[in-house]
Amino acid sequence: MDIRHHPADEQWLSLVAGSLPTGLRLVLETHLELCPACREQVAALRALGGVVLEEQAPAPMRDDALARALDRVDALENDRSAATPSPAAPRKVPAPPPLPDGAVWPRALADCAATRWRWIGPGMRWSRVSVPGAPEANVFLLRIGAGKYLPQHTHRGTELTQVLYGRFHDGRALFGPGDFDLADGEVHHQPVVQDGSECICLAAVEGRLHFDGLIARWFGAAVGM
Amino acid sequence: RSAAPPPEDWSAALCLVAERSDREAFGRLFSHFAPRVKSYLMRTGSSDALAEELAQEALVTVWRKAALFDPAQAAVSTWIFTIARHLRVDAARRHRLDGAGDECFEFDDLAADQPDAAQRIDATRLAQRVREALRRLPPEQAQVLRLSFYDDEPHARIAAELDLPLGTVKSRIRLAMAHLRRLLDP
Ligand SMILES: [Zn+2]
Ligand SMILES: [Zn+2]
Repeated sequence: MDIRHHPADEQWLSLVAGSLPTGLRLVLETHLELCPACREQVAALRALGGVVLEEQAPAPMRDDALARALDRVDALENDRSAATPSPAAPRKVPAPPPLPDGAVWPRALADCAATRWRWIGPGMRWSRVSVPGAPEANVFLLRIGAGKYLPQHTHRGTELTQVLYGRFHDGRALFGPGDFDLADGEVHHQPVVQDGSECICLAAVEGRLHFDGLIARWFGAAVGM
Repeated sequence: RSAAPPPEDWSAALCLVAERSDREAFGRLFSHFAPRVKSYLMRTGSSDALAEELAQEALVTVWRKAALFDPAQAAVSTWIFTIARHLRVDAARRHRLDGAGDECFEFDDLAADQPDAAQRIDATRLAQRVREALRRLPPEQAQVLRLSFYDDEPHARIAAELDLPLGTVKSRIRLAMAHLRRLLDP
């Protein structure tokens, strides 16, 4: 995979520090699955997190902190030996919507549910991804036919896009499989899917209101196209 | 501050916990890491009580998941940092959802969180090199990297704290990262 567009350093730092909203985090983790170069960067940043942890001036714990921890550990061990472990119930997540050969459902979304492909315009479909425990996350898949385009738009929040399949050009650059893009209020663009193949992207928009407004504009325009 | 034992000692201690449920080794890990996890969490805005609770939780998780620790993939400090980060994110989410979210982070996923087998590097050595590289960065670059670990809105907060425009913070982070990369390149 020839990946040319990667998340910026400050996004990886936010991911590693745990300060990203869930939806944005899932898109970055999806990129990580596809991109060995970024995995290497992130390994170094995680190590940096460990170094920062080591640097902390120790904060005094309660006098009985270790004793309490050992009590909890004992309770765990007793549970472990008393009960024959019942196999964890498999999580019931409906099958993701079908992807074309060559596109892989990201592991980062393993616990997420996704709707079937819904029609939003000629050659354009989308699927809503719901993230367990994070109802506020606005994550979705877009599946746009060859030669089709989304209407020109700008963003009221941060829009992260990860290409899973196919290619689009948005006037700024060409994005292909594995490529990542961040668009915000400073970006006006019109993603156009290249001829020859449809394009499937995972996207997340930060903030429900931004997402609804944005999606309404995109989709409203798409349906009227 | 007392001199920290080298990281490979912590690897050995964690292996004793994993293989022999060694309480003495766990005690040493606890005494070293719990106060640092607590300190880190307080720095990210947790109250003393919450940070104490999460530091407990983090070290009990270390016991529970010790068998998943792979010294080829992460230094102990990196691994515990990742656990503390997940607990912090989970606690923030439960707080935001006002107790409605009972979804807990599944720590078995930690393994998948790490670089894959093809990419294994000597993790302890990497941690050591990162530590040295951080020391060699210009102070203002090391500072933005450190501050990035402390806040939910790190860039806005750094901008406010250092009285810099947001764009300058981002470019300083990129500069620092480029510098760090050069220092890490063999
Ligand atoms: Zn990448
Ligand atoms: Zn856009």
